[in-house]
Amino acid sequence: MNEISISLQKVCCIADGRALLDVGALTIRHGERIAIVGHNGAGKSTLLRLLTGFMPAAHGKVEVLGRNLADNPSAHELRTLRRNVGQIHQGLHLVARLSALENVLIGSLGRVVGWRSWVRHFPTAEIARAEAALHAVGLLARAKTRADKLSGGERQKVAIARLLVQQPKLILADEPTAALDPAAAGEVCHLLAQAARQAARHAALITVVHNPSLLPLLADRVIGLKNGRIAFDLPLAAVDDQKLTNLYRPDEAAPAAPWQLPESTRCSVFS
Amino acid sequence: MSAHALTTSFVAKFSGRLGFLGLTLIYALLVAACLGTLAREDELSLGRNPVANLVKTVGEFAHPSFLDVWFGNPKLEYKSDDGTVLRVENRQEVEADYLAGLGRATWTTIRIATLGSLLGALLALPLAVLTARNLAAPKPLAWLAKGILDVARSIHTLVFGLVLVGIVGLGPTAGILAIGLHSMGTYGKLFAEAIESLDMAAIDAVRSVGATPDQVFFNAIWPSVLPQFVSSHLYVWEFNIRDSTILGLIGAGGLGLLITEATSLFQWGRLSTVLIVIVLMVSAFDTVSRRIRQALS
Repeated sequence: MNEISISLQKVCCIADGRALLDVGALTIRHGERIAIVGHNGAGKSTLLRLLTGFMPAAHGKVEVLGRNLADNPSAHELRTLRRNVGQIHQGLHLVARLSALENVLIGSLGRVVGWRSWVRHFPTAEIARAEAALHAVGLLARAKTRADKLSGGERQKVAIARLLVQQPKLILADEPTAALDPAAAGEVCHLLAQAARQAARHAALITVVHNPSLLPLLADRVIGLKNGRIAFDLPLAAVDDQKLTNLYRPDEAAPAAPWQLPESTRCSVFS
Repeated sequence: MSAHALTTSFVAKFSGRLGFLGLTLIYALLVAACLGTLAREDELSLGRNPVANLVKTVGEFAHPSFLDVWFGNPKLEYKSDDGTVLRVENRQEVEADYLAGLGRATWTTIRIATLGSLLGALLALPLAVLTARNLAAPKPLAWLAKGILDVARSIHTLVFGLVLVGIVGLGPTAGILAIGLHSMGTYGKLFAEAIESLDMAAIDAVRSVGATPDQVFFNAIWPSVLPQFVSSHLYVWEFNIRDSTILGLIGAGGLGLLITEATSLFQWGRLSTVLIVIVLMVSAFDTVSRRIRQALS
């Protein structure tokens, strides 16, 4: 239960000659629930992308689920890692033209290989698992509905069901409630926390949060990021309004560089 | 204030409206020049008796030749000047034969359009992948592909056909190649746009569950672009069915050959029959393809 899930040491991420993230040491154990807070461009999303190998570390030691990501992991190694990491993003990351059930089944692609996964002919055991996941998020009745016909809240719930099917050992959520009304946001947070509890080995849950009122639902420990550095790392009870206000206030001493968007995520099929 | 500054502010204030007024004036002048020069060359006449000709042509069009299959004179006698019967023709039989030939020509036209469209689509697919901006193909390759597509799109099917008839000879092959080469340009543009409108976030989401590249292709990319590909294909195919009717004019076979024949013999009744068949064929295809496109969206 207290095994180490993530361990970072002297990690630095650089893009366009600017340090996006500069973390001295950070250890996260299985079963921990962590919220990451900070201003826009503080490095929150960079941290999550670092943990799944979508962003390389310039130097330092990055260990996720026992895999060292620092020394150029192969595409195969990264895929094996990503199969064990459930992710939810702020956008609506579903394949619009597939049904809710098919989107959930995408979570099982790590276990289904070859032509079966090409024509989406999934084994009955996986379909049963996906239906159970949809039932858990309360959307079994909408299983046959296409993703682009679902509401924003329903789509996030489908994404959570996809994550449940993945049976992850680590869950990363990047502003999962960004486009949702308060009721739906609360529900999504509740489901996420539940997903983390039910995961095979008590997965750690790391969530990027902007709304402080959602912190108690999602976290026992809060990490504040400012200009790419860890400003505080405290248990939830020790975080008060003053600390959050300080975190979001711009630094007078070292004015933050104007935020640049990271390299566009063009996926080249040729390189 | 200098004269220059005055002009600049004046231009800034009025350039929009004045510019449009100027363009309208230029357009009016162009139209006037076209009309004026044609009138001076005495090329604007409508012929000697346009009304009578119009009535005659419309009358013949209003009696399409296929009606003769049922109502034609079974014993039409061709007589010489002194009244001896040269030949007796069964109009019903002749027109029935013509209809059978028309059916074969229609089938040829459909075959040219179908195979030509498929050829164009297959040729266009790799070029579209190279030109789609979001896939970030190497620059020189992307430019080359875009160049090929632009050239193919800007050369008319008929021109391709004329050149190809000289290379592969008369017949449907030239038509198929001509249709394929020209519509490759259209397909390339439409396919590239379909790829460019892909939801990259959904692709990243599928990658983030650890899917292999082939799984990403079949589960994220293919389902997203397939409906648009099919829809573009139906659209261009329909367009090509219309286009290939004209290819017979240059000897590529099909309905165009019958059109040339009918017009050069002034058989407006037969031309009317051919045009009716074309309209029926195009609108039938349009209905079917619209149904399919609606079902796919």
